[in-house]
Amino acid sequence: MIQPLTEEKRFTLTQRPEGLIETQTLEVSIGPQHPSTHGVFRMDCVLDGETVVALKPVMGYLHRNHEQLAERMAWLGSMPYTDRLDYFNSMTNNWAYALAVEKLAGIKVPEHAEYVRVIMAELTRILNHSCVIGFMLQDLGAWGTPLLYAFREREKILDLFEAVSGSRMMCNYMRFGGVRVDMTEKDLAVARDIISRFPRFLDEFEKLLTTNEVLLARTQRVGILPKELAINASISGPMARASGVEYDIRKVDRYGVYGRIDFRVPVGDIGDVYDRYYIRVLEMRESIKILQQALRDIPAGPHVAPEVKLRNFKIPPGDGYGRVEAPKGELGFYLVSDEGGKQPYRYHVRPPSFINLTTLEDMCLGHKVADVVIILGSIDIVLGEVDR
Amino acid sequence: MGFIGKGLFEGMVVTARNFVGSYFDKERLVTVQYPEERVQTPENSRTFPFLVYDDDKDPVATMRCVACKICETECPPQCIYIVMDRDEKGKPRQRPKVFDIDTSVCMQCQICVEVCPFEAIKMDNDYEKSQYGRFDELVEHLPDLLKSNEYYSKIKPTEASAVDAKLKAEKEKKAKKAAPAAAAKPAAAVAPKAVAPAPTPATAAASAPAAKLVIPDDAPFSPEQRQWLSGFLSAVSVGAAPATGAAPSTPAQAVTPPTTSAAAPAAEPAPTAAAPAGNWPWHDPGLGMQQRLDLAKSALLADKLMAAMAQTDCHACGYDCRGYADAIAGGAESDLSLCLPGEAETANMLKKLMEEAGKA
Repeated sequence: MIQPLTEEKRFTLTQRPEGLIETQTLEVSIGPQHPSTHGVFRMDCVLDGETVVALKPVMGYLHRNHEQLAERMAWLGSMPYTDRLDYFNSMTNNWAYALAVEKLAGIKVPEHAEYVRVIMAELTRILNHSCVIGFMLQDLGAWGTPLLYAFREREKILDLFEAVSGSRMMCNYMRFGGVRVDMTEKDLAVARDIISRFPRFLDEFEKLLTTNEVLLARTQRVGILPKELAINASISGPMARASGVEYDIRKVDRYGVYGRIDFRVPVGDIGDVYDRYYIRVLEMRESIKILQQALRDIPAGPHVAPEVKLRNFKIPPGDGYGRVEAPKGELGFYLVSDEGGKQPYRYHVRPPSFINLTTLEDMCLGHKVADVVIILGSIDIVLGEVDR
Repeated sequence: MGFIGKGLFEGMVVTARNFVGSYFDKERLVTVQYPEERVQTPENSRTFPFLVYDDDKDPVATMRCVACKICETECPPQCIYIVMDRDEKGKPRQRPKVFDIDTSVCMQCQICVEVCPFEAIKMDNDYEKSQYGRFDELVEHLPDLLKSNEYYSKIKPTEASAVDAKLKAEKEKKAKKAAPAAAAKPAAAVAPKAVAPAPTPATAAASAPAAKLVIPDDAPFSPEQRQWLSGFLSAVSVGAAPATGAAPSTPAQAVTPPTTSAAAPAAEPAPTAAAPAGNWPWHDPGLGMQQRLDLAKSALLADKLMAAMAQTDCHACGYDCRGYADAIAGGAESDLSLCLPGEAETANMLKKLMEEAGKA
């Protein structure tokens, strides 16, 4: 006997009542060449109607053997390759690798260089977060507008990166014990100018988005990541903080000069897509505070530790793990040096995108297929880092 | 909260302001009409490497590259290929015959520039490099890569002027260094305080053992400088001492024991004392391997080892040629394959020499 399908039952997917008419599930492969997957990434979705009942992320299309390459190269040779992990945030990638090597080799970084690193890392965070919001809105159907506003602002930061490091995205800027070239007074003035104008853009951006009814309807209570799951799955970065996990490596490790900079860590409570959007806006505001302090306090001094050799750089045997709060989460490099010490014996990357991506299925189950795209967008992945 | 749709309405106001503003406000009008308009690239901006030469009349002869292959080894994606130029007798000419950069592999990381000790390779900022093919069209050969120092100064004025100043200072230093050796002045027993590398002609000391040169402990030198100086000064004193007869005679050949440790004058701690600085006839990259070895035939092991090297002082091994030879002879360095410009020839010869000396 056929029972009428009530509205609640339609959404309880796991247990189908006995005797209910069997509908056929449909397997849909989203990607690997689909604009919403942010690169060559595939999601094998099983759909019941439009509702997701199972989802399997398929990775590895962009695997480039990054770790193995690093193990056959001198320590410095991997530095430009780290640019290509998360190609949006080469500065923080450089920093994480440099930090790991510095820990392993016991190099002390001059104070001026630490401040330059903080400036670069926070500018990177601003450009990443503003663009991620743009990309997420693009996935949501806001064609172009928020993304291009974000890109317009990002361009100013990239111009500064080019003026300082020589390249817009593949900066290759950090060196063991400091940075490659110093920021001149002119560069610092440009950075100050960017920072002074950025809040105005952010206000405008928020006016466009934060209370927008369409955005609220599409993102609130969508793709909830519970706090317990976030902790158990070792989610980090804005995603963990949106779920209410108060965890920021800048506060936990106090690497660089973050220990003496005053800033707060915004934390969400529900952990839905909207929280993940809003956490990023708040983090940008905190980044501006950090930048103002760093640009005010930056001392004079050498930009790189003078004792570090560029070539024939050797590290005594040992292992070390260096991690930074990258815009996407905890980015860590685990390095082992053995006899000889000319290149890493083992080189392992702990990429935030990859680990944050593992909870995709848990967040997507029960939502419509159109929501999958936004949930993926809110994780903030870069496939260069997921696949390495 | 206001009425339903307030957020949407405010958002529309923002887009309208941006739309209208793009006609008037420079801040909001950021598009550059590319082929007609161009963005001025900053000075630090980098694309692909090129090779610097000094004189327009003969770019090949005046290029700074000595084909030491440091960049080839250090290049992370291995996009550089170098073959040393040799004359018909097989003597190296101190410049590359082939220097290829595969721009389809190059990742513009600038590491070749950073590691080059000769300021020979620099980054261009020419970004219009499209080609109609995918293969040989994207490989830049030596003629494409050679660009003048004027061009370099034009695209990167600050960096280039610093490099020019550095090269000039190095040249002057070299000329100064060469002067005392060439003049062979009777210089010895430099007073302890006169530690500057500039030669101070002093009277030849009759008692050579007492003429051990001591650099005062409070002299403002780093350990490397101190080592170099003491070596230099001792070499000057040893080189000038033969008349006195007390110190070992000139290029140390007369000293019989074949090991450096025994042969080096006991009073001299610096390894450079094996032969007087600047008095190494084989230290000429224009000579062939056999010629160099002949010149160093009766010399010490360290001198022979040095003669087997490419004599470019390129620091590819981490030392200059003298230092590498001393390090091997003294047992501080066990890797015999570090001489990049010398290629397999040097590595094999070093191995052979070490075997002959019974140290391998």
